[in-house]
Amino acid sequence: MDHTRDNPLKRFTAFWIAILMVTSFGIALIITQPFAPDKTDKAYEMMGEGRLEIKEEIDRAQDDALNEAALSGALQAQTKSFGQNKERKGNMPVPGAVPSPLPVEKPAQ
Amino acid sequence: MTFKAFIIGLLGTFGIPWLLLVVIPYSTMRSLEPVEYGQNSKLAGAFVPKRDGRIKEGSKIFGQEGCALCHTQVIRPTYAGNDVHRGEWAGLRKSSSVDEDTRRETIVQDYQQEDVAHIGQTRVGPDLSNFGRRVEHYLKVNKSTRTPEQWALMHLYNPKGVPRYEVPETDEQIVTAWKSACPPKSGLFDKVEVHGAGYGTLPVDIEEGMGIKPTDRARALASYLVSLKKDIFGNPLPEALNYNPKAPQPEE
Amino acid sequence: MSETNSTADSRDVVLRSSIDRSLRHPVMFFFTSGGVWLALAIVLGLVASAKKHSPEFLTCFSWLDAGKVDAAHMSAMIYGWGLQAAFGIIIWLMARLSRKECTAAGVILWAGHTWNAAVFYGVVRIMMGEGSGVTYMEFPSEVWPVLMLCYSAITIWSLIQFQVRDAGHVYVSQWYLLAGLLWFPWIAVTAWVFVFLMDGHPLMVTGVAAWFKGTLFSLFLLPVALASSYYLAPKVTGRPVYSYNIALFGFWSLAVFGPWAGMQKLVGAPVPQFLPYAGAASMILILIPAIAVGYNIIRTVIGNSEVVAESPSLRFTAAGMVLFIVFGVLSVLLHTVPAMKLTQFSYTGYGFDILGLYGVFSLCAFGAVYFIVPRITRREWLSRRFIKWHFNCSLYGVSSIVLCAVIGGVTHGQGIEDLSQPFGTMAERASQFGWGVTLAWTFLLIANLFFCLHLLLMWARLGRRSSHPTLLKANHPENPHGPEGEVDTYSSASA
Repeated sequence: MDHTRDNPLKRFTAFWIAILMVTSFGIALIITQPFAPDKTDKAYEMMGEGRLEIKEEIDRAQDDALNEAALSGALQAQTKSFGQNKERKGNMPVPGAVPSPLPVEKPAQ
Repeated sequence: MTFKAFIIGLLGTFGIPWLLLVVIPYSTMRSLEPVEYGQNSKLAGAFVPKRDGRIKEGSKIFGQEGCALCHTQVIRPTYAGNDVHRGEWAGLRKSSSVDEDTRRETIVQDYQQEDVAHIGQTRVGPDLSNFGRRVEHYLKVNKSTRTPEQWALMHLYNPKGVPRYEVPETDEQIVTAWKSACPPKSGLFDKVEVHGAGYGTLPVDIEEGMGIKPTDRARALASYLVSLKKDIFGNPLPEALNYNPKAPQPEE
Repeated sequence: MSETNSTADSRDVVLRSSIDRSLRHPVMFFFTSGGVWLALAIVLGLVASAKKHSPEFLTCFSWLDAGKVDAAHMSAMIYGWGLQAAFGIIIWLMARLSRKECTAAGVILWAGHTWNAAVFYGVVRIMMGEGSGVTYMEFPSEVWPVLMLCYSAITIWSLIQFQVRDAGHVYVSQWYLLAGLLWFPWIAVTAWVFVFLMDGHPLMVTGVAAWFKGTLFSLFLLPVALASSYYLAPKVTGRPVYSYNIALFGFWSLAVFGPWAGMQKLVGAPVPQFLPYAGAASMILILIPAIAVGYNIIRTVIGNSEVVAESPSLRFTAAGMVLFIVFGVLSVLLHTVPAMKLTQFSYTGYGFDILGLYGVFSLCAFGAVYFIVPRITRREWLSRRFIKWHFNCSLYGVSSIVLCAVIGGVTHGQGIEDLSQPFGTMAERASQFGWGVTLAWTFLLIANLFFCLHLLLMWARLGRRSSHPTLLKANHPENPHGPEGEVDTYSSASA
């Protein structure tokens, strides 16, 4: 019998070889998985795209519906009318109630 | 046979199936192209089953409670089984109360967002792929005021108690008591003292002053069950074998 | 003991007895705790089976719900009994065949206790409804790493023993042991990573779990059973293995076909189509190793029919090998494309699993237990009647389960496929066979009460102190309980 095969060094080496063999496919997974494609859920991206499309459509429709000539006319009219408003007795430029008279403090008795 | 040859042989004979059967399919299945609704569909964009919040939780509970032991969730293509033709498993058939035939086989997107696809082990009970739509339709045909969730909770509490849900071929057919072989899931319900109308308890007769209240797990499971629908409001999916005549035909 | 009567030189005898002594605690621990787990698994199986035909049975305990109790039953059977029995066989057989004493019995024992605790924890969590919810891998995710660490702590010493063995012949058993020792961590790590760690498609999670279940049998339990058979058949009959070439062929055919098994459960599901059909094909091709190994072992023992009849180890092993051939033939019949329609979702799969787990693996493991335990306890089995009852009830029970489940399952599957019948009729039709399965489990329960009791008595060192093995023959040449006396003539030499 050949007894030289069994010594502490051999056992130590055998231990690490065994660990390596047992975990070999685990190691293979650790090495290969970073190269595997990431999990993607394109359905959600697609649904997101759909939502963005709707938003763009609405933005576009609002842009199209905007009549700039009419808007500037209306603004001009406002500005003009604002300039004509002058503060006079009985004509306040800012609409609102006539402020109530301040309470007169009665002198202390 | 040397030790080295032996180990190389093992690595090879195991490594090839490991790669071809597990690693590569797993990786490719992680990024799939979504399915879009067909041209005749009222809906547009990608098909995504509704699995948010409580429904997703219910999917997990379905597995934990071992429902998959007796209930499958897969409509096999006709080369692998007759599932499409069985009952209302694959969708509703055209009948006096149903406008369109919406039966179809299972597609890969049907399990989206679940942690694990509950394919199931045996069919001691019926397939549940289309359970939600089936119950909805049954309640509609029978003019019931119950919601599908309530029906599902009643079934979980006492499977023999509720009428069977097989939708009759004709509307005149009498709905008989369903001889279910499903054991009651009493662990999902609490017996509570009720005062007044007993809000939130099940409509079952037990002793005076007591009521049966579903736990959160039961409610999540019921939500999941009624979310299982194979026909998306009659909107055809071009990916699946489809019995809807309006569905786009695959190109020759 | 038959081998001590041979003319083996005294140094060899001393070595063997010191190997046995170095391993007696871990091996006995694995066998006895495995035996207790098996009894528990059978009780759970009885409840699970009864619930299939009588749904009202024991509904007062929600932790015994049908789905959960079935998962607990299979988990206890596989991880409580199957793997622990395999550990006992592996560490003893590898030490004996490599002719090395075990130097890590303490570590193995600790790991064994941790393993039991983890399995117990897992089974309790399943019954509480807190399992993982993944069919075939129902233990919660945290249990798996613990099991894998325990596995490494238990078996790494066997790999080292093989590496430092004295140069010379490598036995056929050692091929299977070595391969099984490596295959299990390979499949377990892969399955755990893909099912619990990574976020994959739900269908592939199911598929990988099904692959794990298939390969756990074909790449771990089966190789261990075959290693035990290839050791016991020549050892007990005293004849060499019939054909070395057939053994080589049988081994490599299993190595080639085994790793593909499992995904046949997914036929018709929307996964890449070759996955389930590769699984079905491998299950069909498993007939090749089944015939090769079965033929080889049976040819080894065939001339010595009286030895087969008398030796408990050989009787169990030979029955296991016959059932392995039956397993192979049935596998071909059940996994063809037309048959898959009927068997995929019927009771058949359960019967087939039990045939593999109990009929093939457990019978071979019982054979090994009956051989190993007297050697490590240095006591002989107490009662040949117990062994006979164990054998007869086991064989009868497992045959009945397989017959009822397979025939009932095919009827069930035919009914589901037959559209002229309503679905409810089929469930009722299947439940008739369910009664048969329940009855058969009671036979297995009786068998294993005998086994468990016998094993616990041996564990308590209450075995017979005799130099004559317990043989299964009516007219023992001497007193059936043997002359009281020293077990081993060499015990003083080895002390």
